[in-house]
Amino acid sequence: MPCTILIVDDHPSFRASARVVLESDGFDVVGEAADGASALQECCRLRPQVVLLDVQLPDIDGFDVCEQITSHLEHPVVIMTSSRDSSDFGPLVMTSGACGFVPKAELSGERVQELLSP
Amino acid sequence: MTGLRRALGLVAIEGIVVGLVALAIILSSDHFEERGVNAVLSLFIGWSWIGVGLFAWWRRPDNRFGVLMTAVGFAFFLGALSAADATWLFTTGVLLSSVYLAVFVHMLLAYPDGRLGSQRLRRVVGAAYAVAVLGPLPSMTFATSKELDCGDCPRSGLFIADDPTTFRVLDLLVSALAIGLVGYVLYVTLSRFRASSTSQRRLMAPVIWSGVCLLVVLVGSLTTMAVDGPERLGDLMYFVSLLLFAFVPYGFLFGLLRSRVLQAGAVTELLHRMSEGSDRSGLRDLLSNALGDRSLQVVYWLEDKRRWVDAEGRPAALPADDDPARAFTRVEREGRAVGAIVHDRSLCDDPELVGSVAAAAGLSIENERLQAQLRARVEELRASRARIVEAGTAERRRLERNLHDGAQQRLVALSLTLRVAQGKLGKDPDVAHDLLGGAQEELSRALEELRELARGIHPAVLSDRGLEPALEALAGRSPVPVELAGTPRDRLPPAVEAAAYFVVAEALTNVVKYAQASQARVSVSRSNGHAVVEVADDGVGGADPGRGSGLRGLADRISALDGTLELRSPQGAGTLLRAEIPV
Repeated sequence: MPCTILIVDDHPSFRASARVVLESDGFDVVGEAADGASALQECCRLRPQVVLLDVQLPDIDGFDVCEQITSHLEHPVVIMTSSRDSSDFGPLVMTSGACGFVPKAELSGERVQELLSP
Repeated sequence: MTGLRRALGLVAIEGIVVGLVALAIILSSDHFEERGVNAVLSLFIGWSWIGVGLFAWWRRPDNRFGVLMTAVGFAFFLGALSAADATWLFTTGVLLSSVYLAVFVHMLLAYPDGRLGSQRLRRVVGAAYAVAVLGPLPSMTFATSKELDCGDCPRSGLFIADDPTTFRVLDLLVSALAIGLVGYVLYVTLSRFRASSTSQRRLMAPVIWSGVCLLVVLVGSLTTMAVDGPERLGDLMYFVSLLLFAFVPYGFLFGLLRSRVLQAGAVTELLHRMSEGSDRSGLRDLLSNALGDRSLQVVYWLEDKRRWVDAEGRPAALPADDDPARAFTRVEREGRAVGAIVHDRSLCDDPELVGSVAAAAGLSIENERLQAQLRARVEELRASRARIVEAGTAERRRLERNLHDGAQQRLVALSLTLRVAQGKLGKDPDVAHDLLGGAQEELSRALEELRELARGIHPAVLSDRGLEPALEALAGRSPVPVELAGTPRDRLPPAVEAAAYFVVAEALTNVVKYAQASQARVSVSRSNGHAVVEVADDGVGGADPGRGSGLRGLADRISALDGTLELRSPQGAGTLLRAEIPV
């Protein structure tokens, strides 16, 4: 059974490209969200296994959204993404409760899978 | 002024005539005791009030205090009618013999400007007039001449019956009313005196204090009579009150003269201390001491900015004409406004003092004005420099955001699409072909966005080819038709060209966004060592110079080059943005 994933990003062009990439690599993209508030709503409604979460969202900061998602007992795995490099964010990725970081330009099913493997 | 003098002259003649008539009535009276003394005293008191009142009226035509003083004098002469031997003249004289006290109360309550400030005070004055006229009524209706201790007086025209009890009761009632009224007037007068300014006190203190003494004695005299006290004490008090009353106008004259002496002293000291030199708070303190107004402020007029500033060069406002507490006096040098003294409104009662001080301080205020102008300029530069730094930071933030949200996102998507297309090349070439087509479009859009961004930072065509091609390109891209009316033949310095370009760019952006114009006209010319940039449109006008940060940023940019930016945008008549930059 394919792994379910929710894409959270405020740029529609990225959401569309990410959907194509991840679906072609065997993931089941169950939903998309354009900001932090709807990301939290969609997480509760769709219960995806993975959330691909952009750092810079128009309403709530991506790291704060990640903290809220991972504060629940049964929570999906959160993978942060950005067009910037992970070094721009220092230790924030690790302290926010995310499982890892993928630069947007390097997004692929394989990279996501690597982060999901224990 | 001549008209006023003539009118006052006529009033003076009337005063003389009325006084002489009163003199004749008293001297020919059959029932008045000590006619000679009474006649001289009456004449002295009446003429004193009228004379000093007219003088005050002439010196302060806007202040009705003088009018009221004159009226007190005339009202005092009415009492002389009680010396008449004819029944009705005598009756009228007695009824009107206290009216002068009501006018006096009116005058005290109308202090300091001669006007009754509230409905309450108008009621009190109305009551004073009523008590003054109705007060003698019991004696005129229910008392015989014997009871009035006036054996030879004619019988009152209003006499009803000899009823000593009713007379005493009514008389007591009137006296009690009068005592209450005078007590209240004393209270109001003293409260207002305490609340008045130093200069007002300087001028009015003798009047108020002698007035207060008079009222106190009057209360005493009324009380003595009401409680049927010793007759001689009552007479003595009446005599003292009359004497005090005679000297009230001289008290006023003394106050006026003292004010003038102090005024001359203040101006002399001001001139002396200013010649020793003073710093900016020193000038304010000197003026404040000279005018006895601690709240005094000096503001300066900047002709080029058409505004008032304080000593630090910060914008300042003058009090409104109807401000009840504050007023201002302009200071001029050679017919030009250089500043203004903002002071307590009460000083308007003494315009000569403020005027003399303003004239004496003119040169110092002119010097301070130049300093204030410099400080205003420094303050402006400081603010503009801070805004330029802030605008630079904001601009960098905007560029980062635009790059991140625009070209960078498109390149990320492009990278992902190319990777997927690469994977599809072998097994699904049609899908790969479509993906590559999409990637090509994404790349074109990314390039266009980068070009737009680069142009916003600095248009290459401006540096390479000059202002005219750059403005032509700007006009060509504008959705509103733009007529380029002219540009200088020779190149302008790069900073001036860039400023001119961005003036036009910002103006055209605003034309498209807000003006609802059908066309715009752009011209750049050289005039008197300045590059003059004008952008006009035929839109709705009413543009707000404070709208957005664009125009303010431009104004700072132009100001940094010592230029000026002007916006004319009357409602419904188009907008003209004009910049003048020194070349």
